[in-house]
Amino acid sequence: MKDVVLRAEGLSLSFPGVLAFRAISFALHRREVLAIVGPSGCGKSSLFNVIAGLQAPSEGRVEVLGQPVAGATGHVGYMLQKDLLLPWRSVLDNVLLGLEIRGVKRAEAEARARALIEAYGLKGFEAAKPGTLSGGMRQRVAFMRTLAPDPEVVLLDEPFSALDFQTKLLLQREVQSIIRERAKSAILVTHDIGEAIVMADRVLVLSRRPGTIKSTHVIALPDAVRDPVEARRTPEFQAHFDAIWSDLDQPVEAAPR
Amino acid sequence: MTPSRKWGGFSPALLAKQVLLVAGILAAWEWGVRSGVMAAYIYGQPSGIYAKARGLIASGELLTHTWVTAQEAVAGFLIGSTLGSLCGLLLWLSPGFAAVVRPVMIAINGVPKIALAPLIIVWFGIGMEAKIAIAAILTFIVSLIATFAGTREVDQDLIRLMRSLGASRFQTWRKVVAPATLPWIVSALRLNVGFALIGAVVGEYISAKEGLGYLVYFSGTLYDLNAVWTGIFALMALALVLDRCVTFIEQKARWA
Repeated sequence: MKDVVLRAEGLSLSFPGVLAFRAISFALHRREVLAIVGPSGCGKSSLFNVIAGLQAPSEGRVEVLGQPVAGATGHVGYMLQKDLLLPWRSVLDNVLLGLEIRGVKRAEAEARARALIEAYGLKGFEAAKPGTLSGGMRQRVAFMRTLAPDPEVVLLDEPFSALDFQTKLLLQREVQSIIRERAKSAILVTHDIGEAIVMADRVLVLSRRPGTIKSTHVIALPDAVRDPVEARRTPEFQAHFDAIWSDLDQPVEAAPR
Repeated sequence: MTPSRKWGGFSPALLAKQVLLVAGILAAWEWGVRSGVMAAYIYGQPSGIYAKARGLIASGELLTHTWVTAQEAVAGFLIGSTLGSLCGLLLWLSPGFAAVVRPVMIAINGVPKIALAPLIIVWFGIGMEAKIAIAAILTFIVSLIATFAGTREVDQDLIRLMRSLGASRFQTWRKVVAPATLPWIVSALRLNVGFALIGAVVGEYISAKEGLGYLVYFSGTLYDLNAVWTGIFALMALALVLDRCVTFIEQKARWA
């Protein structure tokens, strides 16, 4: 059996008067990318906050490598649609942020950050300020920052949705291969079904609020095509797309009367 | 939204227009007095102001008054702005304490600070310290409120990001909140040039033997309006010089 990196058991979250999601359980394995799709307002982002420890669940527990992480932070990498780069810091210093917080020695931290920057195509931009970079490059820097503290699990909350289509496809491919290469795992929240299929090994479909897991799709694309652009051309892609689409609840606004 | 104040670069054509505008106003004023439309003892007179200013400069009085007011304003500005910005930043560390002092801040901000002047005189006497104290109080409040408001404008997602990285509240404050608030701190500095001068001049109005506020007030009681205007113009010049200093700081403090 593959080793479980993160396990969610019976997670529920309610705010006064609103049940955001309920009874969510899943296991995330090493090297696996798990996508969560659902209609808007199904509690995806709240679920992320709970997994990241930013919000305590009303019920249930989250374990990373068998250790409960409720109420703690720092065990997962977290990447949002906004790059959230600090404009007064250079690319290098932005990548260093997480390591600084952990108190990693400057020399060691810098070596790690430089290696990442070099490995993933940002060499030469170490001293640049984020304001001078394109959206795709900024998001790439944000991903480097997420990876630098070497988290077991990376949470990706619609990280590409603000990018143009071409940049988005390139980054999907890149992020996916980096995660596999470094033997990490990721949870991807997205409303883009295509993105979920090409990046993930499994796709969980959440229902309308209160969000709960409606179905799980194990993505089986031909082994040869792990490329997000190529994958879109296969009949398997279309089959998965149709299956997930039919499971997906209509957003409330579009529901038939 | 980040406050930004760009007044554009220097242009000779613009300068010419500005000089022309001021010269036109002065010429109209002078003509108004000479033709008898305006009374010199009520409005003063540009040629009279010029003569008065020359006399005050030659005797060294104007320089002394300006120097005194400048010292008071700058000292008050530095003390008030520094402490105010620091306290505004520190309040972010304790939302509970901030909530407790919020109504106090609003109340103090609402009080015309001039009403505090008698207390200041009692506490600090009638020397320079009292004027510095008034300028410091005025600028402290402005910096405190602007800085605290700035800390609350910091993107909450940035704070969440810092937490997700395992940052303590203090680390988040030092690495994100404080630098992100810098533009607000600097824009409060610009406002504070004016407030520091108000503080110094008001202090001098109440009780002083020197300073531009004293010159203006004392000359006013003597109906020497040309001397009043001389003092006002000297204050304007001082304000412009201090404003340039803040612009310099602003350029140094730009992070993006």
